Amino acid sequence: MENAIISKEKLPELFTQIIAKNKLFAPVKENGFSLFKEVEKASEIDTSYVNTRVPPKSIIFKQTETLFHFTPGKKGNVEKIPEENEKIVIYAIRTCDAKAFALLDPVFIGDFEDPYYSARRRNSVLIGLSCNNPGPACFCTSFDDSPASIEYVDILFTDLGYKYYIEGNSEIGKKFLEDHKTLFDAASGEDQKSRDKVEREAIGKIKRTMKLTGIVEKLDGMFDHPIWYESARKCIGCGTCTYLCPTCHCFDMQDESTLNKGARIRVWDSCMYPEYTHHASGHNPRPARMNRVRNRVYHKFNYFPKNTEVFGCTGCSRCIEYCSANIDIIEIINKIGEVKE
Amino acid sequence: MKDFEPKIIGFLCTWCSYAGADLAGTSRIQYPSNIRIIRVMCSGRVNPMFVVNALQQGADGVLIGGCHPGDCHYQHGNYQARRRITMMKKLLEFLGIEPDRVRMTWVSAAEGRKFAQVIEEVTEDIRKLGPMKQVRRKNEW
Amino acid sequence: MVDQKELINAVKETVSREDVRYIVGYEEGTYGFETAPSFAYTSDDARKFIFNPLCTKNLVVYPILEEKLPLKREEQEDDRKIGIVVKGCDSRALVQILQEKGLKRENLVLIGIPCTGVVNTKKIKDKFPNQTEYTDVKEEKNHYVFSIEESVQKIPKKELLADVCKECEYPNPVIFDILIGEETEVETEPTYIEVREFEEKSLSEKWEYWKKHFENCIRCYACREACPLCYCKTCMADFLDPQWIRRSVDLSENTAWNIMRAFHLAGRCVSCGECERACPAEIPLMKLNKVLEKEIRELYDYTAGLDPEEKTLFGTFNPDDPEEFIM
Repeated sequence: MENAIISKEKLPELFTQIIAKNKLFAPVKENGFSLFKEVEKASEIDTSYVNTRVPPKSIIFKQTETLFHFTPGKKGNVEKIPEENEKIVIYAIRTCDAKAFALLDPVFIGDFEDPYYSARRRNSVLIGLSCNNPGPACFCTSFDDSPASIEYVDILFTDLGYKYYIEGNSEIGKKFLEDHKTLFDAASGEDQKSRDKVEREAIGKIKRTMKLTGIVEKLDGMFDHPIWYESARKCIGCGTCTYLCPTCHCFDMQDESTLNKGARIRVWDSCMYPEYTHHASGHNPRPARMNRVRNRVYHKFNYFPKNTEVFGCTGCSRCIEYCSANIDIIEIINKIGEVKE
Repeated sequence: MKDFEPKIIGFLCTWCSYAGADLAGTSRIQYPSNIRIIRVMCSGRVNPMFVVNALQQGADGVLIGGCHPGDCHYQHGNYQARRRITMMKKLLEFLGIEPDRVRMTWVSAAEGRKFAQVIEEVTEDIRKLGPMKQVRRKNEW
Repeated sequence: MVDQKELINAVKETVSREDVRYIVGYEEGTYGFETAPSFAYTSDDARKFIFNPLCTKNLVVYPILEEKLPLKREEQEDDRKIGIVVKGCDSRALVQILQEKGLKRENLVLIGIPCTGVVNTKKIKDKFPNQTEYTDVKEEKNHYVFSIEESVQKIPKKELLADVCKECEYPNPVIFDILIGEETEVETEPTYIEVREFEEKSLSEKWEYWKKHFENCIRCYACREACPLCYCKTCMADFLDPQWIRRSVDLSENTAWNIMRAFHLAGRCVSCGECERACPAEIPLMKLNKVLEKEIRELYDYTAGLDPEEKTLFGTFNPDDPEEFIM
């Protein structure tokens, strides 16, 4: 199916059709901020947001995942928890968050396949929504993406005021559009033009840039630079930047048990905590906040690009906005760029 | 709700309340079997997180027993426990968790009868409140 | 209003002293309405220092966060003083820490600032969501004045003032070495109106309210790390044996964590509002702190963080403490 148009009146009908066959996750406004939740009615959806507080990675890569149950003792056994195979549709995902899945896929479906992640990922359809009003710290354009990039989503919606412009990208996306085509009208050249105008306007609203040329190579020689100490002394050591990051994917394994039953769970972990690298011996290879902040930046701008050839950051600006000490990753990277070798 | 038998965890101080419970037993005084007693050295040893953890793990109520004011084996453990439990109850009430699930009593080693009465009263009160719902763990493990 | 020059001069003078290592203060943030903690090691660094109603952060966390890394051979420990710029609430947090002997007074230099209340940055961001440049906010006659895209904005103080500041009793530093400017007059007696209104609700209404908030908690522990009084070497939440709180993130564990955090600040919290400000899930944590503060005041006539020589609330007792609920 070619590019199409859906009027806003028909949108609830589309959601009803989606909900009938899939689990629909969409942004919902709750307690004054947006977050992705499973919705049961179209009316719950609220797309007037810049970015949800917790990124939609939490839908596919859950904060708490139970891997198996066990009963201890000589007659003990292990009972694996099967993967979830329900169809998932994520609606109104932003470019930055959708790109994050493209970065997480090589981690979880790369050399070692994670069954829980990959089952959910394979069964998911990403419906993007162009970001018409980027936030004050957003910088996705620095990574050559645009608030209306289509390459990371299956279908992209663009708000044109009273209607949405729809583009299908992948096979899944095109098939999805085909299934619901009764609700769509064909798009005219005029619509295409206004979509491009909306995108240009949105790009114009992004004021901040991260200068990324040569940063990977430069970081190679900067491990012991005083800049790390200077950036990190403000850090209070909470995990907000990593928990809210759409691409951070570290986790911890824990056994939780009572006397006669237990479970092994996987929970998000953060490299900003001292205990993240704390050895059983008592030694900690990253003893200070300086080491930990440095690791976060190196992982996103040096190790990750070396392994997968893309930066481990998508420019969603969450870590900047919700940091209570105003640690600004744009500032850090730009400063590094200015350092003379 | 009729068949509901509450589970109550009792943290009893070894010098007074636990001895009181012992006396109730040796005097063959009958009291409800809903209470599961954990002996602690002093009511001041009861970390308020014990209370929360008990409620999380399946208790419907918690009873903390100590010596009468002035009688503490460690001079003032019970006074300090009193302040803590008061504040914990206030906090629970503010969160919407019935504060009556957390009870405190002074029972001396000679008060076997009082101990039985307290248990009866607490059991009935908590039976009326019904099972703990708010902070109970949903997992079976 | 704090005179910028006076502040910078005081910092310059202090940091040039031989027995002072560095001073923590505020500087302009990187965008919008953010201010950032600033560290002055030389009198040159002091030039960046600012103070305005956007300077929300409680800087008392920083001396506590300092890591003592193992010394290299023949290296001497640097035991020079640390300077902190403190508002009223910050100084009370410090008094509380001194009371608990977490820090030593002789290791600190305090530059006190009489505060007139700080802005709720979330509110101001919601009002002007697209502000990318750093904006300096000034307070003039019960209004906040700042310019956005060359047009001057004048917004009544009431609209943007942080909730904790509305009932602040101690805007002036309780302890300090240098005081910048005139002391603020105290107008308010706390009414705890918000807490009292909430207490009127039924138990199930209260629980519904908190349930909705606790479900959103992501347990990043920003509340703990931002709090100057949460400085235990190992937090109970980080213990594995015994595991007081499980790592899995669900309603039960989140509630347990929030009860624990609030309870451990009972009689210690000085209402700086830093936990609520740091919380990415916008849980109204100050409500919990406030209700305990109110009860403690009513039952024990105790206020935290006023006198470094006083004993802590739970470290003391009165034989006549109320005990109606005890059977």
